Amino acid sequence: MIELTNVTKKFGNKIAVNNFSLHIEKGSLTMFIGPSGCGKTTTLRMINRLTPFDKGNIIVNDTPINDVNPVELRRNIGYVIQEIGLFPHLTVFENVAIVPRLLKWEQKKIERRIEEILELVTLNQSFAQKYPLQLSGGEKQRVGLARALAAEPEILLMDEPFGAIDPINRLKLQDSFLEIQEEIKKTIVFVTHDINEAIKLGDKIAIINEGNLIQYDNVSKILSDPANEFVENLLGQDRNIKALSLKKAKDYVLKDGFITVLDTESRESVEKKMKEKNIKIAFALDENNHLKSRFVLEKATETKKQKFIYNPAPWIIERQNNINEALSKMLEAGEKQLPVVNRKKEFVGIIKLSNIFEEVNKKTNIS
Amino acid sequence: MNILSFYLNNFGRIMSALEVHIFIFLVALTFSTVIGMAISIFVTQEGREKIGRIILSVMGAAQSVPSLVIIALIFIFVGIGVKPAIIALVIYGLVPIVFNATSGILSVRPNIIEAGKGMGLTQNQLLWRVKIPIALPVIMGGIRSSSTIIIGSATVAAVIGGGGLGDFIFIGLKLQKPEMLITGAITVSLLAIIVDYIMAKIEKKVVSKGLQIKKT
Repeated sequence: MIELTNVTKKFGNKIAVNNFSLHIEKGSLTMFIGPSGCGKTTTLRMINRLTPFDKGNIIVNDTPINDVNPVELRRNIGYVIQEIGLFPHLTVFENVAIVPRLLKWEQKKIERRIEEILELVTLNQSFAQKYPLQLSGGEKQRVGLARALAAEPEILLMDEPFGAIDPINRLKLQDSFLEIQEEIKKTIVFVTHDINEAIKLGDKIAIINEGNLIQYDNVSKILSDPANEFVENLLGQDRNIKALSLKKAKDYVLKDGFITVLDTESRESVEKKMKEKNIKIAFALDENNHLKSRFVLEKATETKKQKFIYNPAPWIIERQNNINEALSKMLEAGEKQLPVVNRKKEFVGIIKLSNIFEEVNKKTNIS
Repeated sequence: MNILSFYLNNFGRIMSALEVHIFIFLVALTFSTVIGMAISIFVTQEGREKIGRIILSVMGAAQSVPSLVIIALIFIFVGIGVKPAIIALVIYGLVPIVFNATSGILSVRPNIIEAGKGMGLTQNQLLWRVKIPIALPVIMGGIRSSSTIIIGSATVAAVIGGGGLGDFIFIGLKLQKPEMLITGAITVSLLAIIVDYIMAKIEKKVVSKGLQIKKT
C-alpha cells in the first residue's frame, strides 16, 4: 500500500531521515514512535508530499508519489494533526464537507456521508451546525477525524492526534478510535511519542531514532524481542505487563451467566426471573441497549438470608479497554465481574476476573 | 439659532456639497480597498512573509503621517482638482487597509493552513476560502477606519479643489462666518458616524458567525 525505499531527507546539513525503507500493508495501523526530532513527523509528511524528500522513492497505491499532483494526492489521503486545524469560520458540517466538495460530490451524497460519518465518530447530528469554538477538545478531535475520513480515503496519516488531549479523554478517544478502525479498516500511519499509545493502538510499530529505522515489527514481537538497548529503554522496565495490555476486553466478553431486563421492569419481577433461572446477576437496559442499572442476588449465609442488591450506576468496561484497564477497574470496584459496552454505550456482555487470571497465568508461565 | 437658519437657507448647497463628498468618499474607498487588498494578498503569499512584515512596519509608521502632507505632495506633483484630491485620499486610505489585511492574513494560525494544505486545497483556495474569511473581521476593521479617515481627510482635500463639505469649512474660516464653518463640520461628523454604523452592520453580516462566537 505504502512503500518507502531508501528515502533520505536533509534539512541543511542535518540528516532528518536517513536511507529509510519501510513497507506498510493495506488495512494495517502502523505506529511511528521515537524521541522528538527523530524524523517520524518528517517521514509522515513526506507521504502526502507536504515535505519533499531528497533521495529514494515513495510509492502509494503502486504509483510513485512524485508522479502525482500533490493536491490530487492529498485529497485522497486523510490527514489529522495534533492541533486539528478546524476552520473556525465554518460549521462542523462545512468543515467535514471540505474534501468531498473539492472532489465535486453531489450535495445529496455529501449530506448522506456527513450524517454517516458523524454517527461513526459518535457525534450527535446536532453537532453539524455548531462552530469549532463551541466544541470541547475531544469533540474537536472527533470532528478532525471525521473530516479526514469524509471522502473515504484509503489512507489516513495522523500526527500525534491525541497529544493535546487530557489523559482521561485521550484513553476514551483511543478506545473509540480502535473501534472505528475495526469498522473501516483503513491503512493508517500514526505518529506518537507515547509508547503506551503505540502498544495499545498499533498493529505494527516502527521505532525511529535520529532518522534511522531501528525496529519495525508486530507489537508483540517488539515487546518480546526488542532489537537493542534503545528499544528496551523505550519500552521501559515493565514490558511484560505492557504485553498484557495487548489483550483486549473484547476478547473475554461472555454472553452468558447473566440475564438482561428492561429498566422499566419492577424489582419483584426481576428478582423472580433471576430465581427461576438460577442466575445471580441481571442488567437493566433501556430501549437503546444502554446499561441503566444492575441487580445482584447474593448467596444466603447462615446468618443472613439471601440479599437482593440494586445498583443504579454500575462500573463499566469498554470493549476496547485492554485487560490491564479491565483488571484495574475490577479491583477498584471490588467486583469479580463487570459489564462491557461498545463505543455507542450499548451493552455487549460481561467479563469475569477468573478469565483474566487465566490469561495472567499463561503469560507468567511463558516468561 | 444662527446655525439652524443658515442650514435652512442654504439647504440645497449643503446637500450638493454632501453629494460630492459622498461621491469622493465612495470612489476613494473603492480604490483603496481594491488596491489595498491586492497589495496585502501579494505580500502575504507563501515565501513572501518577510516582505509582509516589512510592509507592516512601514504601514504602522505611515499611519502617523498627517493627511495634509500627502495632500500637499499630490498638489505639488499632480496639481489641483477633484482627481488629485481623490488620488491623495486613495493613498491615505490605503494605509489602514493594507495594515489590517496584512496583519490579519499573516496571523491565521499555521496549523489551520497546514490542515488546509494537507487536505489538498490549492494556494488560491487556501487564500479565498480560508485565510481571507478568517482574517475578515480584521480586514473589515481596516476598511472601517479607512472610511472614517477618508471622510475626514476629504474636508482637507478641499484645499486642492476636491470640493465637498470641506469648502464650507474653509470658506467659513476665511469669511469669518462661524455658522458656515460649524455647519460643514457637523455635517461631515454626522456622515462619518452614519457610515461607520453602516460599516459595522456590513461587518456583522459578512463575517462568519463562527468567528463572532464568544468562547464558552
